[in-house]
Amino acid sequence: MKLRLLFAAIVMITTLHAASGISTIALPGASPLVTIRVVFLTGSASDPADKLGAASLTAAMVARGGTRTMTYQQILDAMFPMAVSVGAQVDKQMVVFSATTHVDNLEAFYKIFRDMLLDPGWRQNDFERLRDDAVNYLRVSLRGNNDEELGKEVLYNEIYAGHPYGHNNAGTVAALKSMTVEDLKRFYFTRFTQKNLVLGVAGGYPRNFLVRMQADFAKLPNTAPPALELPAPERNEAPRMVMVEKDTRAVAYSLGFPIDVKRGHPDYPALLVAQSYLGQHRMSGGRLYERMRQVRGLNYGDYAYIEYFPRGMFQFEPDPNLARSQQIFQIWIRPVDPATAHFALRLALYEFDKLVREGMDQESFERTRNFVMKYAKLLTKTKSAELGYAIDSRFYRIPEYVSYLEAGLQKLTREDVNRAIRKHLGGGNFTIAAVAKNCASLKDRILQEAPSPMTYNSPKPTELLEEDKAVSAWKIGLKPENVRIIDVEKVFE
Amino acid sequence: MVNGAPPPRAAKAFPFDYDLHDFPNGLRLVTIPTEYPNVVALYIVVQAGSRNEVEPGKSGFAHLFEHMMFRGTKQFPPARYEDVLKQAGAASNAYTSDDLTVYHTTFSKDDFDTIVMMEADRFQNLDYTEAAFRTETLAVLGEYNKNSASPPVKLNEVLRDTAFDKHTYKHTTMGFLKDIEDMPNQYAYSRLFYQRFYRPEYTVIVVAGDITKERSRATVEKYWGKWQRGDYRPVIPTEPPPAGGPRANHVNWPTRTMPWINIAYRAPAYTDTEIDSAALDLLAYIAFSETSDLYQKLVIKEQKVDAFGAGNPDHVDPYLFRIEARLKNPAEMDAVRDEILATVNAFRENKVAAEKLEAVKRHLRYRFALSLNSSEAVAAVAARYCSLRRTPETINRLYDLYARVTPDDIRNAARKYLVDQGRTIVTLTSGGAK
Repeated sequence: MKLRLLFAAIVMITTLHAASGISTIALPGASPLVTIRVVFLTGSASDPADKLGAASLTAAMVARGGTRTMTYQQILDAMFPMAVSVGAQVDKQMVVFSATTHVDNLEAFYKIFRDMLLDPGWRQNDFERLRDDAVNYLRVSLRGNNDEELGKEVLYNEIYAGHPYGHNNAGTVAALKSMTVEDLKRFYFTRFTQKNLVLGVAGGYPRNFLVRMQADFAKLPNTAPPALELPAPERNEAPRMVMVEKDTRAVAYSLGFPIDVKRGHPDYPALLVAQSYLGQHRMSGGRLYERMRQVRGLNYGDYAYIEYFPRGMFQFEPDPNLARSQQIFQIWIRPVDPATAHFALRLALYEFDKLVREGMDQESFERTRNFVMKYAKLLTKTKSAELGYAIDSRFYRIPEYVSYLEAGLQKLTREDVNRAIRKHLGGGNFTIAAVAKNCASLKDRILQEAPSPMTYNSPKPTELLEEDKAVSAWKIGLKPENVRIIDVEKVFE
Repeated sequence: MVNGAPPPRAAKAFPFDYDLHDFPNGLRLVTIPTEYPNVVALYIVVQAGSRNEVEPGKSGFAHLFEHMMFRGTKQFPPARYEDVLKQAGAASNAYTSDDLTVYHTTFSKDDFDTIVMMEADRFQNLDYTEAAFRTETLAVLGEYNKNSASPPVKLNEVLRDTAFDKHTYKHTTMGFLKDIEDMPNQYAYSRLFYQRFYRPEYTVIVVAGDITKERSRATVEKYWGKWQRGDYRPVIPTEPPPAGGPRANHVNWPTRTMPWINIAYRAPAYTDTEIDSAALDLLAYIAFSETSDLYQKLVIKEQKVDAFGAGNPDHVDPYLFRIEARLKNPAEMDAVRDEILATVNAFRENKVAAEKLEAVKRHLRYRFALSLNSSEAVAAVAARYCSLRRTPETINRLYDLYARVTPDDIRNAARKYLVDQGRTIVTLTSGGAK
């Protein structure tokens, strides 16, 4: 017991500002594992207009390319016995380089890591390999093999068209093909500077490690990066739909619209409760999951989001360090059979409308609030996640995430949540992204508001069949001028 | 024991002071106290997976059954079950593989009794209607649909079907599409599956986190102690030794994608006592990992391949040693295949350098230590190994075995298993092109 108290006492966030002014977050602890997160507050929203993908490719050159003194192969060979690798994640406003090493190897690892970040090699053959990877990611991994993520990314591009968020983080194929090493160096030297750097370290690192890291990273340019202008995205005046034509078995949907709420907004805890009630990610307790999958067997699952959550089909918890100044509300409908695709879309909209009109009842509110409060603690179960959340809290200018959320949830009432639902979700005209075969046929049925009766392989209660009649007649309200079909081969080009 | 893992070279690979307890009905409980505060991870391992699907037409049933376990009991119908999980703020899910089905829940230690009680209820009193069963089969078809856009998934399906004749590893955990489409008609069989395998002698409960062995034992005894032992023993068909020379197959993918090649060899079952399997584990890293000569040539220098790797995944029965590559250009398929085969041949001929072998051993120890970074991770790892040997001790025996592998062992294992007779090659390209 004593040991645990001691452990708890030293696990506290310390924020240090070295003489250099580099923002640092430290979570010292007794673990033999040491986690490092180096975050630059820049990202794909800062890609030059003719160099879309520059942030991602620059980060790739740092994390998966050589340094001035070591080739990439030499780095791999050196890190292999330590079982360490450097991860890079690029989003609109954050680039993070992260790694976890055993403390035995910290010294050897850090020397390489430091050189990777501060003295990249900029070799042409690394560049060609990584540019190929980026093009293949867009064309094959996303467009070819993962209809669900494709739908989500197309949705974001559509909602943010003409906005700095309006392209995939990896860029476009055309821009990647026109990119040069010089373009990436320019991005690196102007954007990866001390002024937008946050250093994060957690675990059982030695005493002097932080100071040493701060001194090393003070070698980065101390210039202010160009300011990022983020106009407020426009809300749809009527529903819109973008359909991706692809030879595929099922129909994958994602739909959403921009919201003003992000962490730190007074309604964030309320909207988080609403989102959890409607569709907690990859859990069976959400309303959409229950009505669409559990009761009707329409697909594998249906969820709701108020923050960007990429790669959701591969993981249960969101990755930290995807902080954004602007977020959307989103519904994810996992692939449905083409025969029930029209009905499934209607049902999701019907349930969403019901939530906006009726709100949550007292029992659901209390249960969901309780869930969100406890579940938040599980999100920071590893040191790496805890550190990531601490960095995000810095971005959003809020206290430590779990205590911030607890404070907000404790004073929350059912009325607060229902008011927040009406205010932020009410009247929201969705942009709908669909990946499907024979898009034209689905489009016609939707435009004509044709009936979409359901049939089942087992008897259903009368109330459900009655509800189906209402759903089957639900008006989506799409106008021909607000629907377009694009060929999958043209997406992200 | 302080939080996390000790220096990898100093002590046991699985460094936790765990408690192993057998109940009279055959149920085994593994309790692993950790220093991560407040949280408990409960992993319930059923030693039945798609390997146990012995009847024709029943592929995919272990996985379907995993879905059915969320369809409720009289005491806890699905909505009430979900309410309790929500009250606990629990993260809950399940997965099925060839040899196991795992139900896992992570939650605050205060809710331990409630969750253990509710889990005991569904393992002993599951009760679902035929209508609920038929609806759930559609969710499984939905899962097949969402996976079907992925070439590696299809490649895996065809590779198994080609490499195996008799053993149930011939089919994937998802099952054959025709069997999935027939699932709505198999309600009676689903009850039989439950009767057979959801029994204490097939089950290991793993509890990791902020918990004592006393509390864990007492709580599990209270709710699981009266569970009745079963008597079913499946006869899993034995795969005959490879005969008739190497095998090959090809997949035409309907849309544009990058070509894949999969080269597999019939490999031994998981063991923590025999050196061959451990030697093949290490060989996979030396020959095909990111520091291998072949990776350097194909991925870094020539840049013909963008995804590359190999492994000898742990299985209860003999399975496959697999090498996979994704190519940038279909015209280079034969050249890449020949490079891989030449590398395999070289490992049959030559002994590996001692320092390369040492680097791999260090890599594995550190990789394993780094993976134990939360109570949930500790429970997940222990659960996987408990499906193979019903104890986490097998991890320590396995890593001790790795430490003893010599260059001779690796060459011997290559000569014995990486042979043309036991080889299957499956390629995948966009429609038309080979």
